[in-house]
Amino acid sequence: MVAWIILAALGLALVFIVLIYNGLVSIRNDTQNAWKQIDVQLKRRHDLIPNLVSTVKGALEFEQDTLEKVISARTKAVSAGSTASKAAAENMLTEAIGKLFAVMENYPVLKGNENVLRLQEELTSTENRISFARQLYNDLVANFRTKLQVFPNNIIATLFNFLPEEYFSAEEEAKVTPSVNLSLRK
Amino acid sequence: MPLTFIDIEKQKSWRIGAFFLFLLFNYFCIAVFFTAGIALYLHVPLQAAPRFLVFAGLTSLMIAGIHFWFSAYDAVNTVARSLDAQPPDPEDEVHATLINVMQEIHVVTGNKRKIQCFVVPSFSMNALAVADLKGEAAIAITEGLLSRLNRSQLESVLAHEAHHILSGDCLETSIAASLFSTFSSAIEKVGSASRGRAVASPTILLAMASVKLTYLLNMFISRQREYRADAASVRMTRNPIALAEALHLLSRSWRGAGFISSGFEMLCIVNPQATLLDESEGFWADLLSTHPPLGKRMDILLKMARISKTELDARSERRADSKLPKTSRPLLFAMNPQKQWQGPFAVAELATLPWLSPLTWITQGNEQPVGRAWQDPLVNAIFLTRLASPGEQKSGFTCPSCHQPLVTASCEGTQVSQCRFCSGILASNARIPRIIARAGKTRPCSERITSLARAAVSGNMSRRFQKPAHGKQAAIPALPCPKCANPMFRVFYSQAHLIEIDRCSFCGLTWFDQDELQMLQCLIENRIVPEITVPEA
Repeated sequence: MVAWIILAALGLALVFIVLIYNGLVSIRNDTQNAWKQIDVQLKRRHDLIPNLVSTVKGALEFEQDTLEKVISARTKAVSAGSTASKAAAENMLTEAIGKLFAVMENYPVLKGNENVLRLQEELTSTENRISFARQLYNDLVANFRTKLQVFPNNIIATLFNFLPEEYFSAEEEAKVTPSVNLSLRK
Repeated sequence: MPLTFIDIEKQKSWRIGAFFLFLLFNYFCIAVFFTAGIALYLHVPLQAAPRFLVFAGLTSLMIAGIHFWFSAYDAVNTVARSLDAQPPDPEDEVHATLINVMQEIHVVTGNKRKIQCFVVPSFSMNALAVADLKGEAAIAITEGLLSRLNRSQLESVLAHEAHHILSGDCLETSIAASLFSTFSSAIEKVGSASRGRAVASPTILLAMASVKLTYLLNMFISRQREYRADAASVRMTRNPIALAEALHLLSRSWRGAGFISSGFEMLCIVNPQATLLDESEGFWADLLSTHPPLGKRMDILLKMARISKTELDARSERRADSKLPKTSRPLLFAMNPQKQWQGPFAVAELATLPWLSPLTWITQGNEQPVGRAWQDPLVNAIFLTRLASPGEQKSGFTCPSCHQPLVTASCEGTQVSQCRFCSGILASNARIPRIIARAGKTRPCSERITSLARAAVSGNMSRRFQKPAHGKQAAIPALPCPKCANPMFRVFYSQAHLIEIDRCSFCGLTWFDQDELQMLQCLIENRIVPEITVPEA
């Protein structure tokens, strides 16, 4: 009789552990998928920038400096190897594009150009997507961390070696601490 | 300490879940009460009762299931077809932005589900979300709303709708709706088939009460869902101000009353059948409307952003589009024939309403004076344009109740003046006998007129011999004579024909309100006379 009760309790505990383990795995996968999404959107931005630059080059003869900065920032971002340097390069690119848009405001010729408007719209959308993707990633990380720290989960997490993911920091912070640990990407 | 959007979302999710379970339990109760009522009515023997209950319960669930399947299987296409919604055109600048914003929403929701996007060709301002059993989901937005929102506002509106889809609100709504419609129509049928006898049985009465309760529950859950979707929209866009601005804009515009049919109202971001009830806060108003008051929703959002409503107004003023002409006139609410306040409408939108007449009550909002439509000079202009049809001759008189010019019409070969709006007829006293005498020859009076005439006569008869309660009776204002503008007398046509008419004793003219002339004809034709009861001494 006692043996049966112990067996039942063990079985229940096992089911419990499996459920928690599976829940943690699914959240971790969601988080990693969200990270990949950021990459997808960054790639989209890299593809769009050369188009925009070649379209506005003619009108922006006296703004070669700004254009140069955008191009070099893009090159750096594309070729960046480590995650930390990549994050820094992407942030520089965001800044450079912001400056370019501000400059373009002063050229009414560009405002009337349908091609430019379309590209600008695409880039604005991409910037939004990047920030949304980051936000989603950070939300999921926060959720994941909470799940790892609450009571029965923390035992299972240490048992199966679940590690908390790192937040994707905002631009300003990224500049101050470029050594931010983004160990997730292998 | 105001609640954060995460707290609100959690709290509302908990409430919706609990109340949805309660709702389903309630449906179960209805099914049991209902079948018990039928069993009693059919005198099912006691030992067969459990089997009967199970059988009937399964049948009713199956019917509800079939109804649900048909209403929810292809809902996206059905809604798109009935609203004539089109997918956005990528060549169009504004539509291209919509496509992009939709992609952004996909990113922020983690690409969990593919959501289509439709544009509804209408000037009204609304957005709605549908999902169906095929796994398709769509958000539809009207051209009117799409063109008035800026990018971040559009994001917040689409995020709100996307949350309705992702959280399963859309499907749950249609489950609840199909269960509700199945049961309420079944109970109605039983009531009429048994000529009210079954209704008297206590179990059926209980079932009816439960149906009413589920209606209230549905409303409550629908409101909680709106709050939750607002909070979720803020979670996605982190921009409570944009959503508050969008709602503020919606609160002042036409949301498509009359265009978006009433089955879809729970799916919309704001109730298209906007009644004053929806905007009034309070226990009863809260209980009976599908959407929470926009003011309350905005308050919650503004608390998250920690700004006040005046600040919001100042911001939107600063950014006000110079392209759009400022509407110097406030918007109007109008009372429809079902005695519900609808709106807000601009004057041009009012003009498209088929039920608008000079006698429609209109007001500028809560606690504003209420008046007839003809009293507002701008609204009155609508009627002047409607009247301007060729081939109609104005008779030079104005309608005493609608204050619109009367047109000359022919009645039984004689010229009379008629109002195009209220169908009242103005005739000179000398011509009335002619009209009445000739009427019987050409056409008999309809059943509707006969019953109206009977009711009027017996009502007037009893009133004639009752002394009016002293000073309590509200006097009906006397109508002005169309010719001399002196007040007309409200009198019976004669002591034998108790139809009330308005007569000007100076000009010898008689004004018949709608149907009064036909009633008089019918009275004389059929010799309908008041029954005279001799009072006992």
